[in-house]
Amino acid sequence: MPTASTLSNNFFRSLWIIAQFELVRLFATRRGLLTLFTFAIVWYFMLTGLVMTAADFIQQNASGNMSSMMLNSAGFGQLLAWPIAEFSAYWRLSLYLFPIFSVLFAADQTASDRDRGSLRFLTMRCSRDSIFLGRFIGQMIIQSILIILTLLTTFIVAVYNNPEALMASIQCFLLISANLFFVLLPFTAMMALLSAAVRSPRQAMILAVLLWTLVSATLTSVSQHWPIFEFLTYLIPGVHLENLTELQPSETLSLAYIPALQTLVLLIIGRFVMARGSV
Amino acid sequence: MSLIQCQGLNKQFAEKTVLHDLSFELPNGQPIALVGPNGAGKTTLFSILCGYIRPTSGTVSVFGKAPGSPELFGRVSALPQDAQLDPRFSICRQLVLYAQLQGFNRRNARIEAERVLSLMQLSDVLHQKPAELSHGMRKRVTIAQALIGSPELVLLDEPTAGLDPINARNIRDLVNEHSDNTTFIISSHNLSELEELCDTVLHLSNGRLQQQVDLTGTQETQNPLSYLTVHMDNCPTDAFIRRVSDIPGVKTVETRQKNHFLISYYLINTSPLDQALLQCIKDSQWEYRQLIKGKTLEEQLFSNA
Repeated sequence: MPTASTLSNNFFRSLWIIAQFELVRLFATRRGLLTLFTFAIVWYFMLTGLVMTAADFIQQNASGNMSSMMLNSAGFGQLLAWPIAEFSAYWRLSLYLFPIFSVLFAADQTASDRDRGSLRFLTMRCSRDSIFLGRFIGQMIIQSILIILTLLTTFIVAVYNNPEALMASIQCFLLISANLFFVLLPFTAMMALLSAAVRSPRQAMILAVLLWTLVSATLTSVSQHWPIFEFLTYLIPGVHLENLTELQPSETLSLAYIPALQTLVLLIIGRFVMARGSV
Repeated sequence: MSLIQCQGLNKQFAEKTVLHDLSFELPNGQPIALVGPNGAGKTTLFSILCGYIRPTSGTVSVFGKAPGSPELFGRVSALPQDAQLDPRFSICRQLVLYAQLQGFNRRNARIEAERVLSLMQLSDVLHQKPAELSHGMRKRVTIAQALIGSPELVLLDEPTAGLDPINARNIRDLVNEHSDNTTFIISSHNLSELEELCDTVLHLSNGRLQQQVDLTGTQETQNPLSYLTVHMDNCPTDAFIRRVSDIPGVKTVETRQKNHFLISYYLINTSPLDQALLQCIKDSQWEYRQLIKGKTLEEQLFSNA
């Protein structure tokens, strides 16, 4: 009879095997590689068409008081707070685009397996918790790799344009990667939860869009009428993104507790859905 | 400890009750059959035993643990009906993953994957993807995954459905070969197959347990009446019934299908009937195809239906 310690070890071992297998899914299957290739092309055009163009614009306007006032009035004032223009543009772009990528990438954590029946092969060998959390961790590792790769391309462009700002670029690299990791946590957890409740990634994505817009609109409306319920808006993934753009770079991690708590809540609910549902 | 214990098991889907108050206990050991018509609740019962779904009420335990418990990982495995492997990965990669989850290291997991595929005579498909295989081969691969780690209990939901006769025969041989160390529970509509493999039969109908039949014959000897089932090769029905009825000890001779007869006789104070029957057949210059001691499983399950 296995002891509690053995069962606990088996849980973490299974969790890690499941998480590693997510990497295989992306890097060792034809569909995964096609996804990566598509992402690389999209990112190339975003880097050259948006990040570099925006960086040029920021750099040209950084010195003028008039331009600063214009950027401030347009809500882009803190763009000038980042020491490297390329990272400044990347920061603003990635804050809004990467959550969308996250929803797309993480939509199929368990849904297809449930529909196909292959989840049944897994649940005979490891707990639903280890499958649920293993897939979530695997998705976060994949997204972290993508963040680092895109940041690396930005880093190369930034250092090429500003060879004297190598240390500042490294700081930006670390700060933005840490921030984006926290930003994507609740979105990935939300997709883990939705994926545990449905039988196709498309359903999970549709539900994500519906829930995100409806819940956001409802909670925002409720908090406007009854300010006492304002805390409920903190349940919405990405609620702090607007605030993040207004902070000085060094202060951005001060809001990391919001997505961390959101993730915890979403994973607890998702774990419950996964445990109660049929496979 | 018993293999499986169910007490007052009920399962409802929306308004429909699929299982009604099932109570039974199954022993460890020889293969067990689960039979019943379509919609009888066999797959639902399998799904509960495997922990895929929860019962609405009642209790169920496998090796004394709730289905899906971590203590059962590696001890219990299953061939779920209609479950498919992931089309994106090779058979090897998926079986290695399952073996690793059961505690094998990567190297041994690969060896185990090769072993279970060879049991299914599918060693050459190791690096293929499920879509490249025929339906029957995919089914055999999913049976192979159930054998990883030589579990103590294997639940097979219609393992030979859709397989050609040779491969169906191979599955039956495999069950026979492994039944000393593994208890198989097999759901199937093929009664002659189950009769060949299993000692205990659970008969479900409309979600209710109709009967639990022991095929070992130990129950039948308690009965003053014994049975022989004979399949003749073209003989006149009336003449057969008349002549066999005249054999001392025979109570009734009933015809079932064409050339199939069920003979009931008194076991006590009579000589063995099979010898007298064979002599009668020889004297009448008939030919027989098959002589079965007792009733067929079909007869036992459905003769009173």
